[in-house]
This record gives sequence, C-alpha cells and structure tokens, in this order.
Amino acid sequence: MDLINLLLKRKMALVAFITIILILTVTALAPFVSPYKPGALNLSDRLKGPGLTHLFGTDHFGRDVLSRVIFGARITFLLGLSISLFAVVFGLPIGVLAGYFDLVGTVVMRVIDASMAFPAIMMALALMTILGGRGIVNVIIAVGIVWAPRMVRTVYSSTLSLREETYIEASKAIGASSTRILIYHIVINLLSPVIVQATFTFAFSIMEVAALNFLGVGIPPFIPSWGGMMSEARNYIQVAPWIILFPGIFLAISVLSFNLLGDAVRDNLDPKLRNEELA
Amino acid sequence: MLSYIIRRAGGMIVSIFIVISVTFILMHSVPGNPASVLLGPNATPEQVQNLNESWGLNRPILTQYYKYVVNIFQGKFGRSIYYQKPVLSIISQRAETSIFLGLMSLLVVVSVGVSGGIIASIKPNSWVDNLLLLVALAGASVPSFWLGLMLMNLFAGQLHLLPSSGFTSVLKTGNIVNLKNLILPSIALGFVNAALVARSARSSMLDVLNREYVNTARAKGLKELRVIVKHAFRNAAIPITTIISFTFAKMVSAAVVTENVFALPGIGSLVVQGILKRDYPVIQGVMLVVAILYVVINFLTDLTYGYLDPRIRYG
Repeated sequence: MDLINLLLKRKMALVAFITIILILTVTALAPFVSPYKPGALNLSDRLKGPGLTHLFGTDHFGRDVLSRVIFGARITFLLGLSISLFAVVFGLPIGVLAGYFDLVGTVVMRVIDASMAFPAIMMALALMTILGGRGIVNVIIAVGIVWAPRMVRTVYSSTLSLREETYIEASKAIGASSTRILIYHIVINLLSPVIVQATFTFAFSIMEVAALNFLGVGIPPFIPSWGGMMSEARNYIQVAPWIILFPGIFLAISVLSFNLLGDAVRDNLDPKLRNEELA
Repeated sequence: MLSYIIRRAGGMIVSIFIVISVTFILMHSVPGNPASVLLGPNATPEQVQNLNESWGLNRPILTQYYKYVVNIFQGKFGRSIYYQKPVLSIISQRAETSIFLGLMSLLVVVSVGVSGGIIASIKPNSWVDNLLLLVALAGASVPSFWLGLMLMNLFAGQLHLLPSSGFTSVLKTGNIVNLKNLILPSIALGFVNAALVARSARSSMLDVLNREYVNTARAKGLKELRVIVKHAFRNAAIPITTIISFTFAKMVSAAVVTENVFALPGIGSLVVQGILKRDYPVIQGVMLVVAILYVVINFLTDLTYGYLDPRIRYG
C-alpha cells in the first residue's frame, strides 16, 4: 500500500514504475510479441533502415533489430535481478555482522573500503578472466562481487544507527540473544534500505553488464544482448546507426526508471524529504 | 593538524596493503601454475625457473606474499607477456592519453555540472530547474560508450567536424592540436558524470541559499550575481568538491570503455587488451597502479577537508 501511495504522490516515480512493468511484460511475452526470431538471418534485407516491415530496421545479417532488442531485454533483466540478489545475499549478512559487532566491523569495513579503490569495470574484467571467460553465471559472479561491497556499506551504516535504538536496548535487557536481535529486530528493519540499494544495484549493474558485453567479455555472443548488439554494429555505425541507437535508448530508459524508482523510495524513507515535492 | 595527517596516512598505508593483498589473491585465483600464468604459454623452463626464483613462487604462500610486497615496493610489477616489456614502463607510456582525457573530462564535468547546478538552484521548481533535473537524470542513465558512439557518428561521421578516433602524443610531438582527438571522448565521459555533480551542486546551493547570511547579503542591497557567486557558492563549494573527487573515481572506470570506443592508446584500453590477450602481469599492474592512485587521491582529498574545515580536523 505504501508503494501505491508513493507512486500516486510522485508522477515521475509512477511513470518509471509503469515503464518497468511494461518492459517486464514485453520481456515475459518475448516469443509472442517479437515480430521475428531474434537470430533469424535474412541477408537480402541487411542494413535496412527503420520502416514498416522492420520497425527498428535490420542489422548487418538482416536480423530484425526490434526482436533482438526485446530478447536483449530478457537477458538484461535476468542479469540485473540475479546480480542484485547476489549483492543482497552476500552484502546483507556481512553488513549486519560488521555493523553489530565492532571488531568485525573494523576489519571488514577496512577491506570493503579498500576493495572499492578498484574501478568497478576493471575489477569485473579481471574477475571475468579469472572465472574463465564469457558466460552468464560468470557475469553474475563478477559483477555481483563488484557491487556486493556497496551493499555491505549501506547495510553497515544502517545497522550502526539501528543498534542504538531503544528497542534493541530493551531486547538486550530482557535477555534476547544476539542472533534473535539480529534476525527479528535488525534485519527486518533493514529491508527498506536494502530494497533501495538493490534497485540502484540493478540500474548500475545492467549498465556494467552492457559495458562488459560491449567489450566482448560478457555473455556468449550467440545470446542477443544490448551491449553485444552495440559492439557488433560498431563498424556499421555510419551506414546503420539504428542498430546502436535503439538498444542504447532502451538501456538508458531501463536505468533511468530504476534510478527514479530508487530515488522515490529512498526519499520516502527519509522524513526530511518525504513532504518535499520533487517533480 | 599533524595528528590528523598521521591518522589519515596510517589509514592510507593500511588501504594500500589491502589493495596489494587483493591483487595477490586475485592473481593466485587464476587457474594454473602462477609462473606459467605470468609468463604465458610460450615460456621456456628457464624463464619459469627464473620467475620462480625472483617472485618466490615455489615457496610457501606467506613467503610468496612477502616477496610480492617487496617487489612492488621496489617498483617491480612484472613483465608483460605480450609486449615483453616491464609493465610499469608500458603504463607510463600510456599514462599521457589517460591523464589528458581525465583532465579534459573533468573540465566538462566541472563546467557543465557546477554551472548547471547553480542555474537550477536560482529558481527552484521553475521550468528551467525541472528541465535541468530531467537532463541530469537522463545523463546519469546513458552509458558513456553509447553516447560516445552517437557523438562519433554525428560529429565525425556525418558532419566531419572532429576526428573520430586515435590520439598522437602531445608531449612528444609538441603539437597541442592533437588534443582535438580527445574532445568527443571527453564530452562523452564528462557529460554523463556531470549529471551527478549538477544534482549535488543544486542541492548544496539550495541549502546555502536558505541561510541567514544570504538574506543579510541581499538585505544589504548587494547585486544578486554577487550574492550567488561570492556568498552562496563559496560556501557550497566543499560538498561540491567532495562529489567531484568521487566522480573522478567513477570516470576512471568509465574511461576503460570510452578509450576502447575511440581507439585511444590509454591505460583503459591497455587493461582491455590485457584481458583479451590474458596478459596477467599487465592486468595486475594496471589494477595496482589505479587502485593505489585512488587511495592516494582520497588521502589528499581528506587532507584538503581537514585544512578547509577545522571541525573535521579535530573531530
């Protein structure tokens, strides 16, 4: 119910939410709504501009760009979701323990902070090589390892302020064990900041996955992906810019929608910002 | 101030050790014998033997770690398998492109981001503000490599105004005109990151513009421009500086892909080639140099804060 109220109050967030639902629906129905098979070659129709038969045009193999964009959305959302889950599964417990126990916190946060000194894309590239090259699971692990520390940071700082709350003190006073406090009082109250951070992780990670695919080290080339499409079409940019234009626009729209939604939920959690009309 | 510097320096040294340890762990996670990983498939048994000696690769793991740290502090980052040259010398050859690209992008970030943020803050919630907010949001969501390709197509491919790719050294040829090759890449890289700066510049300006001393300045009858530049902006500058230094780190990451798009011979494209050719010493070297640089920049930023704001120094 909170989400519905929030969406009604903020027009931009509502637009973002509807966009995400639309993309998700099209993605789920991909085999039924895409006009062609994403891999169907048609060499006589290669590099055709956007038109009635091919709304977004065709690429250098005569494949329909719209169908590839739709199927590309599938893998993009699948990877974004898996990477966000990876970040939560590893980031939440580590962050909670680091925030609740001082000694763990000192050690873990030093390592986490230092590990963020490596630029995200370089770390992901290096991890891809170590994991043995292209592959969907490898991308999830590599980009997940890059984004989990950011989740740890968020969880850590929220836990630090939560553990000072009176109800935590009260639970300690009545003899609740640390495990009980952590699970029933801390983790439960962390859900909102974790969801917000996961939304941002989703947005950043699909951008990073596109970059990996663009550089030719992401998922295997036979799976249509937005980054991969842009990379393959680089040599044709002057004759057929639409092959790069459309996947980029859809990537930007997806990232923007998740950022807007994350912003709205975050501002809503912050009482100082709650009543401020942004847009 | 001295105790503040010492505390921060201690933190920096710990971070550098962790960075070194992370690269050590990463390189030991590569499947296969470390010596043959570092020397490539065509290494002779003698070369393997030599490397095992100098990096202690056939010794216990702690001895290896010790040797690794000592070698790095002596500037021995290993030799590239592909280029057959010391990694540090390759990095220094390529540093020029990346440094120029970084500086020019930073110029775009500061000029577009800060001025956009200030303009938006003057009349909050006006159509100018909303438009700038929308542009900033869109800018932050666009992948820089895509923007780069689009700019390349428009300004180099269609209009023939600017070169599309490549870069020849300015320092070696003395020809400053070469910098025009970096205009499109720095716009692609800078614009995307300017968005973040614009948003934070807007909110820190709004914060300051509501303060009493700004009212006082206006009440004294000062011109609005003077109030904004001298009274408001100077006080909003610290949070803006923070976000710019944070942006710099983000740009280093995005530059990896941008350099690839524009075929620039910088450090970012070096690491991508290193990955594609499985040139592990190069990957390791670049990661170390970049991460250590990041830690040092953070340290210097902290010192600047301490200098600017006594509350941080004694806090």
